[in-house]
Amino acid sequence: MGWGDVYCTRLYVNSEIKMKKGLFIIYLLLTAHVTLMAQQSETQIRQKISQIASSMKTMQCDFIQTKHLKMLNDEMVSKGRMYYQQGNRLRWEYTSPYTYTFIINDDKVLLKNSQRNDVIDVNKNKVFKEIARIMMNSVVGNCLNDEKSFKSSLSVSGGAWVATLLPQRKDMKQMFQKIVLHFSQKQAMVTQVELIEKNGDRTIIDLKNIRTNEAISTNMFTIR
Amino acid sequence: MMLHAQSTFPTNEGERVKYNAYIEMPRAYISGVSVLLKEGDVIKGSLFNEFGMTALDFTYDPKRQKVKLHHVVKMMDKWYIRRVVRKDMVQLMRCLQKGETQYNNERRHINYQFIPIEHEVTK
Repeated sequence: MGWGDVYCTRLYVNSEIKMKKGLFIIYLLLTAHVTLMAQQSETQIRQKISQIASSMKTMQCDFIQTKHLKMLNDEMVSKGRMYYQQGNRLRWEYTSPYTYTFIINDDKVLLKNSQRNDVIDVNKNKVFKEIARIMMNSVVGNCLNDEKSFKSSLSVSGGAWVATLLPQRKDMKQMFQKIVLHFSQKQAMVTQVELIEKNGDRTIIDLKNIRTNEAISTNMFTIR
Repeated sequence: MMLHAQSTFPTNEGERVKYNAYIEMPRAYISGVSVLLKEGDVIKGSLFNEFGMTALDFTYDPKRQKVKLHHVVKMMDKWYIRRVVRKDMVQLMRCLQKGETQYNNERRHINYQFIPIEHEVTK
């Protein structure tokens, strides 16, 4: 190998290094651009969901709840109806195969089954205060912006926005591995809530026939 | 309460029975659903509230008359609660085997009522 060959090889190596540097810079710029785009759209999605939630005066729908039992390799399906009214009012009513009604009205909670009625003051019961808050926030999607309770991430899957919420509070961490909310992209509303427990059991709640901003009788939230 | 028309306990391999469960204690009340499944020599069981949150996963060995707790929700996961639950579940399983849907722990004033769900719902 002569000096000429060495020179040519050095030139070749130098130009290869320059090309690799250039490609790396392009890659970095592209990645930064894509990340920025993703961040922007995630912010936009969060804003849109928040905007829809705050403009939602009422919401009512049917729901199908499917509990997957990991240890028994079985599932339990139950059905019911849900009513929500802005200002801390929620009626969550199971109609089959069992009857059970859970009503939140401000700081009172009513639990009603075929055997008894119980009224609980959430200010005197920390657990129920948490449950009531999480249920209200999950239904309209406000959980997504509840940074104290959840670390959240957003993704897009099959035409839906999927928010994965990792509990941050101790009592929630004890119960759930994570909560996954599916939002319809068209309506920016929750269509499915998935609760994944510590033991591997999963409960999927599908919200169907959603109607918003229609009058709901105040009787639906009455606690006696 | 005696029920004769429907099964109160799974006896055949793979058979499942689902119940409306009510547990009444002196200062607390729990309601929900329980599922029992016959698998091999044991009965696998789960108890969860109406919203689907699991309180207990257990297996019952009818021959040895023993209950093993596999999962207990954190707020109930204390050794003294586990001991009571284990013993009471054995008694409750024995009652269900006999066709009775109720067991009363008179010493601790805890009443267990497991009523079979007649109609299942599908998606």
